[in-house]
Amino acid sequence: VVPGETALAFYKAKNPTDKPVIGISTYNVVPFEAGQYFNKIQCFCFEEQRLNPQEEVDMPVFFYIDPEFAEDPRMVNVDLITLSYTFFEAKEGQQLPVPGYN
Amino acid sequence: MSTAMNFGSKSFQPRPPDKGSFPLDHFGECRSFKEKFMKCLRDNKFENALCRKESKAYLECRMERQLMAQEPLEKLGFGDLIDGKPEKN
Repeated sequence: VVPGETALAFYKAKNPTDKPVIGISTYNVVPFEAGQYFNKIQCFCFEEQRLNPQEEVDMPVFFYIDPEFAEDPRMVNVDLITLSYTFFEAKEGQQLPVPGYN
Repeated sequence: MSTAMNFGSKSFQPRPPDKGSFPLDHFGECRSFKEKFMKCLRDNKFENALCRKESKAYLECRMERQLMAQEPLEKLGFGDLIDGKPEKN
């Protein structure tokens, strides 16, 4: 991936149970300092998603790395950025701490 | 590799996506486009730049089936892949 170029990535999720699951996911970027340059245009995250029993779905993320990444001297040795997602089962009334997002 | 030291005061602040969320493709309507894209990546050592046509096709599939909000392709970074036809809206 080249900084500034939009890119598509896919994750897959499966509900192995025999009940529908409503979940919500949040993400993490390592190395930590690269996270500020990681821009998601669109993803499956932050909103509740329902997976039916035994359902398996593809979960896309459309993103780009801010071109300023290439100018940051601290990023000179960073050639691998890892994006990971954790899918939580949503509980009633649960709010993820996402400041300013409605 | 960086060390495993964790300075507890810094925590990662997730930010929501710029254009919101993709609804799930429960019926796999765009699965074939995704498969073409993944095959392209595998054939090209996972170089994203060589598979942009396939990723554009995937997103167009989603937009056509209401699985993604309509966005002009230039805004999605595909300006150089458009045919030269006038914009629809």
